[in-house]
Amino acid sequence: MTRRDFLPVAGGSLLAGYAGFAGAKTHPKRALGPSAVAVVKAASYSEDLVSKILEGVRACKLDVRGLRVLLKPNLVEFDPNTCINTEVSVVAAAYEVFKTLGAAEVTIGEGPGHRRDTYAIAEMARYRKEIPQFDARFIDLNRDDVSPMQGFADRGEIYLPNTALRADLIVSLAKMKTHHWAAATLSMKNFFGVVPGCVYGWPKNELHMVGIDRSIVELNRIFRRSFAIVDGIVGMEGNGPIQGKPKPAGVLVMGSDLPAVDSTCCRIMGINPEKVEYLQMASDNLGVTEEARIEQRGEAIRAVRTNFELIRQFHDYRLA
Amino acid sequence: MGELYLDARLEALRRSQNPDGGWGYFPGKQSWLEPTAWAALALHGEPASDGAWTLLQTWQLDDGSWRPSADVQISNWGSALCLTLACVRGEFDDSFKRGVQWLLGTSGNESVLWKRALMKTGLFSSDRNVNYKGWPWKPDCASWVEPTAHALVALQKAAGHYNASGLDERVRSGRGQLRDVRCADGGWNYGSHAALGVDLPSYPETTALALVGLQGAKDLSKSIATAKAMAAQTTSPLARAWLRIALALHGETGPELPAAPTPDVMITAVEALSCSNYKFLKTGDPT
Repeated sequence: MTRRDFLPVAGGSLLAGYAGFAGAKTHPKRALGPSAVAVVKAASYSEDLVSKILEGVRACKLDVRGLRVLLKPNLVEFDPNTCINTEVSVVAAAYEVFKTLGAAEVTIGEGPGHRRDTYAIAEMARYRKEIPQFDARFIDLNRDDVSPMQGFADRGEIYLPNTALRADLIVSLAKMKTHHWAAATLSMKNFFGVVPGCVYGWPKNELHMVGIDRSIVELNRIFRRSFAIVDGIVGMEGNGPIQGKPKPAGVLVMGSDLPAVDSTCCRIMGINPEKVEYLQMASDNLGVTEEARIEQRGEAIRAVRTNFELIRQFHDYRLA
Repeated sequence: MGELYLDARLEALRRSQNPDGGWGYFPGKQSWLEPTAWAALALHGEPASDGAWTLLQTWQLDDGSWRPSADVQISNWGSALCLTLACVRGEFDDSFKRGVQWLLGTSGNESVLWKRALMKTGLFSSDRNVNYKGWPWKPDCASWVEPTAHALVALQKAAGHYNASGLDERVRSGRGQLRDVRCADGGWNYGSHAALGVDLPSYPETTALALVGLQGAKDLSKSIATAKAMAAQTTSPLARAWLRIALALHGETGPELPAAPTPDVMITAVEALSCSNYKFLKTGDPT
């Protein structure tokens, strides 16, 4: 399906998107752009990340008072030699920020794509040690109770975890990484982790069958009430999202328009967002991707751009 | 000590059984096929296990497969677990045969005819040999190590009770796939041994499961050594439980269990299974 084919399908199914789950929050389509994206410098994880995230959230004028917030980190697996996951200090700081800003409830949830023992990965990534009362605040989205949602690509319906469906706001706490199939994995791709393994398996191969790019867009269409915080303090370059190398970029990138956030991340990484299929499918549909329609707050892209190494398949994605 | 550890887990399972007879992945949550099947095997011979089987029977779909929960209307890899449970219970009725037939008719879509044909012509390449047929998590998807391992256990156990056409060949093919996707260190990733030509790491839980699926194979010394090394290193309770089962089925000693069960019902059930009833996953010595 081309981007042109996709648009009417997405528009129509937006209305039907929550037909299957009475407890789900409706996510109205909003006017697109100009969208605020905050780029905040953070040289290391030992900086005051609560202040940094607060700065970005406030720059984007996000109001979370009274909301049920789900923090969705990118917790995949652990390798001490690289940096696969959203760093624990970013997750802990985000938790504190959203509590401070008056969220009624803050939960952390993730469903790793191919490792089955989620708590063991959380242990290795130090989440259980460094996030206070982690086990009480965490939901394994792979094994949550689920409900069907109508309108997912050509599959008709998709089962999704009730914790995610009931959230007023999902905060995609993504990692800034290259991806060997999709070029880059950022806040939008991070939504793969909400798809339940107990229905679709480990990995969630159904999404590959639908198409990675299309699945990314479909999931973001369902979860429109979202906010992105991308951990680019140390990202991953090369053969991401698992076997790449650490790449310090020294930034946190934040915003409510996820295509705008991800296209900004791409520009910081030296990737042309116009080449990234899922961003083009989402552009003018779920958000904006053109630089001119993004209100950059905080640091300018040129001040923080650092080219991420790309595998051969994506050499022509390099931003001029 | 071992019996105390087992008792603690069996008691935790008895306490966490849902009124419908099943188990959720965590106490108080909806019943799901996977924890229910493992708990039923761990508690085999008790009324709790009978209640679980009664529930699971209601989840069988018209095509012979099982759905993963009451609310999810999708054929599921867990069908293999129900067939294994049926074998342990001695339930070889028509529903059992329909389940076996569904499993025999289900394979990873990487091995469809056109892909095999393209591979022969060199127009299609893959990091795995698509002539082998494994099993997917759900129909119309690719095959993966874990569902393939469980399907192999179920079919090898079923073989002595149902003379289904093509069963032996599917078992040979499935075992061939597991061997084909073995990683360089002798262990198993969750899927292939490589992606885009780059070697992938092996994982303890999938290495254990592949060894369960490959019982009786003669060429596993490197894999067993890798599994033992993983058992000494991994901190994952799930991986340790599966390594205990896999190594026990290959005549080796696995890692110790922690004294107390976790709140994770499925892990508790697999840990309980690893103490004694792992023998229910024994498949003999196939070709």
